[in-house]
Amino acid sequence: MITLTINEKEITLDKPVTVLEAARRAGIKVPTLCHHEALKPYGGCRLCVVEVEKMPRLQTACTLTVADGMVVTTESEAISKVRRGILEFLLINHPLDCPYCDKAGECELQDMVDKYGPTVGRFGEEKRKVPESHKDHILARNMERCIVCTRCVRMCGEVQGASAISIIGRGNRSRMEPFSSAAFDCEYCGNCLTVCPVGAILSRLYIHSFRPWQLDKEVETVCPYCGVGCSLVVQVRDDSIKRVVPRFDLGLNRGLLCSRGRFGYEYISSPERLKTPLVRKNGRLEESTWSEALSLVAEKLGQIKSRDGGTAIAGISSPRCCNEDNYVFQKFMRMTCGTNNIDTVSRTGFASAQKYFEDLLGQGITANMIDGLKNSDVILVLGGDPAAINPVLGLSIREAFRRGAKVLVVGNAKGLERYKTLQVMPEVFREADVLESLLIEIYGARGIRGEKPALDSGIRELSERGCERTGERDFDELRMTLLESVSISIVFGPDLVQRADGHRSLFAVSGLTYLLEARLYLLSEKPNEQGVIDAGCAPDMLPGGRPLSVQEFRRKFEQSWNGAIPSDDGMTLFEMIEGAANGKIKGMYIMGENPVFNLPNGSYIKEALKALDFLAVQDIFLTDTAEIADVVLPAKGWTEKTGTVTNLERRVQLQKKAVETMFGMEDWRIISEVSGRMGYEMNYKEAADVMEEMAKVSPLYRDLTYHEIGKGDCLWPYHGEPLRGEMKTVPEGAAMERDYTEDFYLSVERPLFHSGTLSGKSPALMKIYPEPALRIGTGTAEKGGLKDGDKVQFSTRTGSREAFVSIDDAIRDNRVYFSNNFRGRGALDLMTYNIDKVTKAAGIEGCEVKIKKL
Amino acid sequence: MFNDTVLKEIDDIRARYPERRSALLPSLYIAQKEFGHLSSEALLCVAKTLNLPEADVRGAASFYSMYRHKPLGRHLIQLCTNVSCMLLGSEKLADFISEKFRVEPGGTSADGRFSFVIMECIGACGTAPAMLVDTDFYDNLSEEGIVEILEKYK
Amino acid sequence: MEKILLKNTDTGNSADINEYVKAGGYRGLSKALGLQPGDIVDEVKKSGLRGRGGAGFPTGMKWSFAIADPKSPKYLVCNADEGEPGTFKDRPILEKNPHLLIEGMVISAYALGSERGYIYLRGEYPRAKEILDRAIDEAREKNFLGDNITGKGIKFDLTVYQGAGAYICGEETTLLESLEGKRGLPRNRPPFPVNTGAWGKPTIVNNVETLSNVPSIIERGGEAYSKIGSKFCPGPKLFSVSGRVEKPGVYELPMGTSLRDIIYAHAGGIKGGKKLKAVFPGGVSTPLLTADSIDCAMDFVSMPKAGSMLGSGAVIVMDESVCMVRVAYRTLKFFEHESCGKCVPCREGTEWLRKILERVEGGRGRNGDIELLSDVAENISGKTFCPLGDAAAGVVAGMLKNFRNEFEEHIKNA
Ligand SMILES: Cc1cc2nc3c(=O)[nH]c(=O)nc-3n(C[C@H](O)[C@H](O)[C@H](O)COP(=O)(O)O)c2cc1C
Ligand code: SF4
Ligand code: FES
Repeated sequence: MITLTINEKEITLDKPVTVLEAARRAGIKVPTLCHHEALKPYGGCRLCVVEVEKMPRLQTACTLTVADGMVVTTESEAISKVRRGILEFLLINHPLDCPYCDKAGECELQDMVDKYGPTVGRFGEEKRKVPESHKDHILARNMERCIVCTRCVRMCGEVQGASAISIIGRGNRSRMEPFSSAAFDCEYCGNCLTVCPVGAILSRLYIHSFRPWQLDKEVETVCPYCGVGCSLVVQVRDDSIKRVVPRFDLGLNRGLLCSRGRFGYEYISSPERLKTPLVRKNGRLEESTWSEALSLVAEKLGQIKSRDGGTAIAGISSPRCCNEDNYVFQKFMRMTCGTNNIDTVSRTGFASAQKYFEDLLGQGITANMIDGLKNSDVILVLGGDPAAINPVLGLSIREAFRRGAKVLVVGNAKGLERYKTLQVMPEVFREADVLESLLIEIYGARGIRGEKPALDSGIRELSERGCERTGERDFDELRMTLLESVSISIVFGPDLVQRADGHRSLFAVSGLTYLLEARLYLLSEKPNEQGVIDAGCAPDMLPGGRPLSVQEFRRKFEQSWNGAIPSDDGMTLFEMIEGAANGKIKGMYIMGENPVFNLPNGSYIKEALKALDFLAVQDIFLTDTAEIADVVLPAKGWTEKTGTVTNLERRVQLQKKAVETMFGMEDWRIISEVSGRMGYEMNYKEAADVMEEMAKVSPLYRDLTYHEIGKGDCLWPYHGEPLRGEMKTVPEGAAMERDYTEDFYLSVERPLFHSGTLSGKSPALMKIYPEPALRIGTGTAEKGGLKDGDKVQFSTRTGSREAFVSIDDAIRDNRVYFSNNFRGRGALDLMTYNIDKVTKAAGIEGCEVKIKKL
Repeated sequence: MFNDTVLKEIDDIRARYPERRSALLPSLYIAQKEFGHLSSEALLCVAKTLNLPEADVRGAASFYSMYRHKPLGRHLIQLCTNVSCMLLGSEKLADFISEKFRVEPGGTSADGRFSFVIMECIGACGTAPAMLVDTDFYDNLSEEGIVEILEKYK
Repeated sequence: MEKILLKNTDTGNSADINEYVKAGGYRGLSKALGLQPGDIVDEVKKSGLRGRGGAGFPTGMKWSFAIADPKSPKYLVCNADEGEPGTFKDRPILEKNPHLLIEGMVISAYALGSERGYIYLRGEYPRAKEILDRAIDEAREKNFLGDNITGKGIKFDLTVYQGAGAYICGEETTLLESLEGKRGLPRNRPPFPVNTGAWGKPTIVNNVETLSNVPSIIERGGEAYSKIGSKFCPGPKLFSVSGRVEKPGVYELPMGTSLRDIIYAHAGGIKGGKKLKAVFPGGVSTPLLTADSIDCAMDFVSMPKAGSMLGSGAVIVMDESVCMVRVAYRTLKFFEHESCGKCVPCREGTEWLRKILERVEGGRGRNGDIELLSDVAENISGKTFCPLGDAAAGVVAGMLKNFRNEFEEHIKNA
């Protein structure tokens, strides 16, 4: 116990903290400029000086640790004089252009000068002149206003781990610059922007467009981009979003955001938003009224149902929509249309992996706190770059590394280049061999655990069968490191699922998780991939992960929903596509998804969907899929409606409404409108009503209310209980025999700055990453005689594209990466697929690529 | 990129420190020698070789006054004008060099022969005024002496 | 006094290891390796040796703090940054007697349980770099460095790390940042380098001269050593005398020699028989003394009583012909140039002071400038992160206190 006195107030602490922190806890504010709660103490600005008895000179509260019996004074005439002196120093070179500066009104320097500052300047010399730099598309730099607190630089290095900016020069010539002194070559997290206390770093998204005091309101909500689910605040004026800011006391991200979350908000006010329903007339989509469109959907689906039965209808729902939307969607498919043909595009990654892991390891196996990553000794990263797919989760890995954890990367992961202990590069598409070999060796060293019979016997069989080692560098060290550690986390990305033998990797990772008693994290590209599953948007599962095949579960839902649920499992995503192509599926309802673009072999998928008798698409943009629909229904989007989403840790969070829009309708409302017209009434007035019903029927959400969720930290299982059994035997897959002997293989790039349609409609993100480039490693560049910026044509068996080459040292194999975020220029359409027999995910094929220099 | 000899040299330096970042200052000296000055390309080379963030490399390089960020003349004159040297007339010598060899402090002569830098104390106060020409030390300077010395540098 | 630090350095090749050994070098090491590490620390404590880098911290005490820290490895770093203007005392050791330093470091390392040492050498000493590198190779060949020192299974190796032109890197925490390949900004203390130093490990930073005293302490014993020089801080001391004296140079004298003797008895008095005006007794960072206050003993205890500090023992002498405004301006230009930029008062304050002084010196002074100078200096003093800012403010305060009239004159004649 430490007891000290600050301003005659006695404070007792159980752990030593800084005087600044002790004062803060006692409600005493000490002025600071260079200090920031997310950063380590720095002690540069000297504003926080305090008097401490028995210490000869003034002490900086931000760096001084409390000691028992300390007597501190934070305000006195002498202290004020010092602060005034410091502020005068800060102003001698300051341009004093508050009337013109965006920061005015929320500038820490301005506030401080207001409180302590000199009223007149005594500096009679010429001020330092530095022109404002607008050479970057996103961030403007005004180094005349910079007070060299270095918060931005420390944030970028210590916290974000990008180290893209530095102080250049020294002494009074110090200024913040990125490497190039002009444009930033960085991750555009914008965290430097958050912490700048003055108007030295500005966002060009809103520069000179409003004053902070003109904002109408601020709404705390959740980011619409990925499965981390960062909290953020949208600031609104005149029903339009002026900017997005993070809060250091909010959510799991604690003030950090990535480029998408911070700068990707503009899509919602894109002029390309769908505003009215569209109905196909004489082959063309024409504007129509809600009542016409809704009735038409009801009529067409009704016809198909009565003519061909419910099983001729299929629905694809969306991990971008809320739990409420998805819940209503699956209920509509099951009860109104009479089919279990419900799936999502997550089948290609998250959903398949999630189900596989839960079947073998038990429900909730991936429900681990992101924050917990920091406390791991070892983090094994597989199947993609976490720092790009789930950037803020990636930061936890970086932090763990800084704290001394070993980060072991299998495959390419650009965002961990400086944050890895070792990297194992499997030969192209032979990850499963590496992981199986690893599992066999770990099993050899550790033996069986004897808790899960299916896994135990699966691992034993695998080890008897054996696996061909592929001879990667550092494999042995990888194995040794895993065997020597106690607290292991495995971070699993979608890439490994997207192989026709993806189940082999899934099994190996299940086995590793089991034998090493690791925590398993499943990366999630979209904001609600977990929620979609939990809401029951799966062909074989009812809400709450209840297996459809268990009659007792089915009966419970039938009672609450007042009708019959078809008893047979429905079709998975690719079975539906097949069904559409071969005429088994006649009508399809797609909510918030764009399969034509987001799945491999898009031209085939497009033909399949075109073969349908009827296709309804509900979306916020006229996507490639919407373009071929018979009816298009405009939905409301993020910040325009309230609903819940569930992140990859299974944290249920509220996305709140922040703006009023005249067009579009909530997804769940559109569906209930259609449902009513088809004779199955749904009487929800608000999203909260849907949640109330979910909380009644789904064991996952039992007793959950918006009020409860609003308090934060709602982690599933809410009132936990196992909801379904584990599998007794490991599902058998088919082996995949293939020779990978081509020079180059095409892979889908998962860039930090883009994530499907939304980022493409966000001008800022388009400025950061305007053009898809063919990203290749230095080895590939050498082999192909290619240089940065070369224009090339690259072709697979199914098609070709032209692009500029970008060489990336972080790519260490003969894969070439191309993004699937630019309309008409996607990578996926160049590839074909083959279904993994076990997971029903699409194993992406046809990746052999030829590159021709133009 | 650096050639293999240089890479080997940097590797040897790295081996002497527990962390690779410590090789930064020595590597910057090497890059300065290889490239003539620390151009962006030189800094990038160092960053790549040591796997350090580019901005950090530039930040560090820009802190220290003995790294050159602009191309230099064939020879670098570094004259001390700090107090001890100043007390013995080094400031006048600075003017003399500027005039005689047509090179401003901080600049390079038009013929590219000399670059001229005013230094803080170079630890030769006992034999002040003093200067370094490239890596050669000269002290007890006078105007005539300077002319004689600089004649040797073509 | 018999020379200890600069012994034999007037022979042409005193840097050669054979010369050094011939003159009795590395005997201290042999003796030390026969002792227990703890005994060595005790001898150093008994010797009363205080750090010669400027602050005068008792060396034995610093060492025992480091030993008390259970963390390993431990690093021994020699501060050879010698950046304080007017200081050039370490240079003769580095260039002419490098093996004395190496021997001192090996003994110290053995006492401290360190297997790795670095000499942080200022970039402006390229010649010293070559000499040290060669000396280290020689010492390694002769088994005074390496994996099995003198066959006793003791390990220690040394690397010279070249600074690149930054005075602040002489400050020990900044030096460590620089050694780690970073910008030279001072670190917060605590934690102190003895606990959390280079790469987060316990690190002992000692000045060249400090470490060079170690062999003779071991050779003659701490007790005997403590009889040299002044009672409260014993030992020989290197004084670098520069400026307007007849015989500038480095003088090895007993600690506590009076400033007057240094200037007049050893450095030959004022150049051209002129009158003494003022002295920086320990580098520009130490308060200025005027002609009538030079009868003080130059050691760490007496100098503060005389209103200044021993600092690095760099005596800069100014005679009656010297314009103090000019000296003030030039000194502030130095501090402005060397301010690292981390803390506000130093970064902005030195610039402001320099700008005012530049004006005043250039005949463009204004009424009120003296008050402004003194106020700005006061706003810096005691508020900066490290002592550099204090030193800058101290120069202005000292000048105004002692030579205010010269400033007034400049402004009046503007
Ligand atoms: C601004 C500043 C510059 C310094 N420069 C040097 C220097 O050049 N050489 C040195 O040995 N100590 C210098 N010091 C002192 C060191 O911080 C440290 O006290 C010294 O290296 C400790 O060694 P010692 O105990 O052997 O004296 C400087 C201190 C400050 C505050
Ligand atoms: S840019 Fe802003 S945050 Fe960064 S150092 Fe300057 S004032 Fe501080
Ligand atoms: S907040 Fe303490 S020095 Fe800046």
